[in-house]
Amino acid sequence: MIADEATLARLMAMAQRGDREAYAALLPACQSWLKRYFARRIGPCELDDLVQETLLSLHRKLASYDPSRPFLPWLAAIARYRWVDLLRKIYKANEVEIDGDFEALPDEPGISARISLERLFAQLPSAQVAAIEMVKIEGLTVSEASRATGQSESLIKVNIHRGLKRLTALIEKA
Amino acid sequence: MKTMPNRSEGLIDLLVADLKPTPPLTQSGGMARAGLAALAAICIAVFGIGIRRDLAAGQLDPVFLLSSGLFLLLACASAWSVIQMSRPHVGNHQTGWAWAIAMAAVLPVSGLLTWVVSLASGGTLAVDGEGWKCLVMGTALGALMAAGLTLWLRRGAPTSPERAGLLTGIAAGSTGMFAFALHCPHNDIAHIGLWHGLAVVVSSVLGRLLIPSAIRW
Repeated sequence: MIADEATLARLMAMAQRGDREAYAALLPACQSWLKRYFARRIGPCELDDLVQETLLSLHRKLASYDPSRPFLPWLAAIARYRWVDLLRKIYKANEVEIDGDFEALPDEPGISARISLERLFAQLPSAQVAAIEMVKIEGLTVSEASRATGQSESLIKVNIHRGLKRLTALIEKA
Repeated sequence: MKTMPNRSEGLIDLLVADLKPTPPLTQSGGMARAGLAALAAICIAVFGIGIRRDLAAGQLDPVFLLSSGLFLLLACASAWSVIQMSRPHVGNHQTGWAWAIAMAAVLPVSGLLTWVVSLASGGTLAVDGEGWKCLVMGTALGALMAAGLTLWLRRGAPTSPERAGLLTGIAAGSTGMFAFALHCPHNDIAHIGLWHGLAVVVSSVLGRLLIPSAIRW
């Protein structure tokens, strides 16, 4: 199901009033949207968990949606927050094992490019983007990323740390 | 690529079953709560600690008016931004608080300049022994605003907890200092700029350090 912005906003407003039928229609639509949204920015093995985490956040933070505003920019802000949070968790846990090929879906979600995840990366210096993409999204080790980019291993770590910090500050802006 | 029909459908069923009516957070609701916190701080300052004599006598000092106005505006602008941050939205641009900080920074800068000019023209470095009371009491009175805004943020979904914490601290410090200025008898710009300004700085640092962990989601 690919619902338009106005339909999603109306379903969300009804869900805030406690309408379960509306909510049951809204959540699968959000799930599909989130899958497309995250597909190019997270490893396939993390996609499932990230979509579910974001749906849970949507549920817990229902009150934070303002029904006088569009729905998708709100959902995108929640999704971006969960995505950056996941990247940070991976960074902290030093887990860099992401297997499987990257499947780039050709279709961008049918909304303004303004809320795409790519716009966040566009605000970061290229060295930070390269470090985050290689280590946190493509699953290279720090030393592999170091060889690929020509940055030292410690610089790769610094760039990941700074990049993630900057991403947090940009979630609603970029 | 993994598929997830069963897990996700199960989750969606659970979420639908758990749905309850959830009134949306509103800007006016948040500002009303912030206003109540500010009112409580003012009542404690006026009725609990005591109102300054000139105010009680119906006299208004221009420096007091000017500085209190700046602290009040800073409190309003930062509280407004904090409440906006509880409702995330890609495309949000909140810069009003930064202008309010720049405006309020006039006070400490003026205080510092007054101090420097006084020293340069042969004056002595007078240490204000009462100043720490303003620092402590302003920060303490601001805790009410900090608590109110933190609770509000916990209901919302701030996407930048660090900035939300910083702004909550600024709102708290400027509210606390606005309230305590109703008691503080000093009208000189050096005292207000240094000690009253310092209370806002201390609250901001505390907010930046302590609040993010309480509002992360």
